[in-house]
Amino acid sequence: MNRRMFLGYGAAAAAIAPTIATAQTPARVIDLTIEPTDVELIDGRIVFQWIFYGDQQTVPRPVVRAREGELLTIRVRNNAPEAHAFALPGVPGAEIPAIPPGGVGMATFAAPAGGTYLYLDPLHAPAHRLVGLHGVFVSEPAGNATPGGAATPFARTRLTPAVAAVFDACGPDAAARFHGDPWRPGREKIWLFTQIDPALCAQAELRQPLDGARVRQTFAPRYFTINGLSGFDASEDAATKPKGYVGQPLLLRTVNAGMATHAPHIHGNHVLELSGVDANGRQIIQDNVIERDTWLLRALDRKDLLLPFEPPQDIPAAAWPPREEPFPLRYAMHCHIEMSQTAGGGNYPQGITTHWELLGPTRPTQQG
Amino acid sequence: MADIDFTRTGVSGEATYDNFSCNVWSENPPTPDRVPADITFERQVYSSGRVTMPDGRRVEMWGFRDPLSSGADGDKPFPSPLIRVRQGQVVHTILRSGKATHTIHHHGLDPSTFNDGVGHLSFEVSADYTYQFSPHSPGTYFYHCHKNTVLHFEMGMYGPLIVDPPEGPGTLFSGGPRYDVEAIWAIDDVDPTWRTLNADAGLCGEDARLDRFRPHYFLISGVPAPRTLTDPRVVVRARAGQAVLLRLINASYSVLRMTFGLDATVFGVDGRGLGRPNSPWSRPIPIPAGRVLEMSPAQRIDVIVRPTRTGTFPVRMVFHDWVTDAIQNAGQGVAETRIIVS
Ligand SMILES: [Cu+2]
Ligand SMILES: [Cu+2]
Repeated sequence: MNRRMFLGYGAAAAAIAPTIATAQTPARVIDLTIEPTDVELIDGRIVFQWIFYGDQQTVPRPVVRAREGELLTIRVRNNAPEAHAFALPGVPGAEIPAIPPGGVGMATFAAPAGGTYLYLDPLHAPAHRLVGLHGVFVSEPAGNATPGGAATPFARTRLTPAVAAVFDACGPDAAARFHGDPWRPGREKIWLFTQIDPALCAQAELRQPLDGARVRQTFAPRYFTINGLSGFDASEDAATKPKGYVGQPLLLRTVNAGMATHAPHIHGNHVLELSGVDANGRQIIQDNVIERDTWLLRALDRKDLLLPFEPPQDIPAAAWPPREEPFPLRYAMHCHIEMSQTAGGGNYPQGITTHWELLGPTRPTQQG
Repeated sequence: MADIDFTRTGVSGEATYDNFSCNVWSENPPTPDRVPADITFERQVYSSGRVTMPDGRRVEMWGFRDPLSSGADGDKPFPSPLIRVRQGQVVHTILRSGKATHTIHHHGLDPSTFNDGVGHLSFEVSADYTYQFSPHSPGTYFYHCHKNTVLHFEMGMYGPLIVDPPEGPGTLFSGGPRYDVEAIWAIDDVDPTWRTLNADAGLCGEDARLDRFRPHYFLISGVPAPRTLTDPRVVVRARAGQAVLLRLINASYSVLRMTFGLDATVFGVDGRGLGRPNSPWSRPIPIPAGRVLEMSPAQRIDVIVRPTRTGTFPVRMVFHDWVTDAIQNAGQGVAETRIIVS
């Protein structure tokens, strides 16, 4: 039997939106709830996980959005029968120590510099985050423009000349390397990668003690997800797959919440690696921007990249734009550590893959 | 105009759970938007190749052979034969699949969807198909089968692909560094227990254990370690004062950490020259002797070393497990070779 009987659980994560904070406004409260959950995987198997929910407990792993410097209170209710915690690695003060079963914990902190962050349960690391307790936090920069006036996803004070030059190269100038629209805030996709070991999930469900050091030795992932989805589901998910015309650059926020390393590989365009993190989870803005088709995404890595939406550069000039082959051109993104393309030991490519769509060779706005 | 029914492919056909994995489009269409080729390659699939490992075990390999060659590469070469082209040429690669379905993905090149070799977005090839592309950026690439890739790539279905600038070999990219000596190191790891599987293993839902990769052999350009220390297919010989280009291709499923016994500089990544005119945001990266250079699976890195004195300089590649980060094969996952400068 190779068909799934039910829909997967990982619907597009709705966002918790930022508000404009001033010195007078109190902290904005963001509520998250930890719930034990049965999760259906791509091949129909059900596993136990713990999940952070937002929005009246209906949205799994909500993307939390804030504006840089905004005062936030994260309030976590623990509806699971064991202790849990909260952390936002690389962000001072954004930690809630163990919350007892049925309890509520809080942390108040200022939203960090513009960029992509990962929230998680740090208990028995990496055990609790591998059983599902993680999500993405996006900070929108207060001042974000390059000296040339282009918008970026990063704080102006942290911008490097190299990253500024990339965003300055996107625009209507005929000589621009990425001729077309400038990058616009919000034109982005989040790609949250993780791995699932059903044996570890079963241990959690049976409330067996989880020892982080032992999990590091024994973790044997059999399912691989992007935004909670795998393979066919991830490829059909509008919130996951980038779409656009030539000249509409898009930001990819790539995050690895798991323990295994990934090697995301994109077809059709190379991407520009803009940011990363150091060993303590602190943001690094690159001062040497490398164009890649494959990037290294270690455990807890967070890398922002620009997908330029340029014409696929290796189509013969005499065949561009194609006359016979129809748009959209569609290109895979998948992890090249190919074991991550399986589900339950087979089912290639029902793992960490999606695709992106190039809708046409010119933007509709140009067609008047 | 080519007569192509795109609805019989992933381009215009309806995507379903079934045709994503178990029952992928299988076709042999003409090439859309075909233009005359400047250079044409043929690649014919073989199975039941063998590499003899240092412990005497003969491990099965699959790959591509060149039916146009006079046998210089042998009947079942591993890795598959080099595709070497010039920037701006129109290239046709004719795949001849043989008994089963396969594809060719020219990894790192950005062609149209139909020419990209991904079955669920286009089609797998049951007989033959002519892939078309025209490389615009000189550097190091590779090509590989993209069907049941987890298995077919591990079985050896890949070969190097090099794009030279218009000036030809000897220059990495126009305006970039020149080199006198060149080595292509395709770095791989082999799990002998996967050799009993058939080409479609796992595709229709059975547990083929393709999530558990336990490599036992570590190879550079088809030569298993420790023969990599002496085999002339791997060992580099140069004279003091020469520039040596090392084209590194991580064709393994391990995170590679490598060190060089002499100072090195990265001049290219994934077929893109660093510091070239249209990439002012990048610059070459110095790698002092002994510093670790990390390389993810499927990345390519172009490194140049310029030995100034005679001697033997070690190059060490350490293979790390993607989940635990431990050195593969209980600490034995290492391949070493040498640069001998006279
Ligand atoms: Cu194949
Ligand atoms: Cu590839």
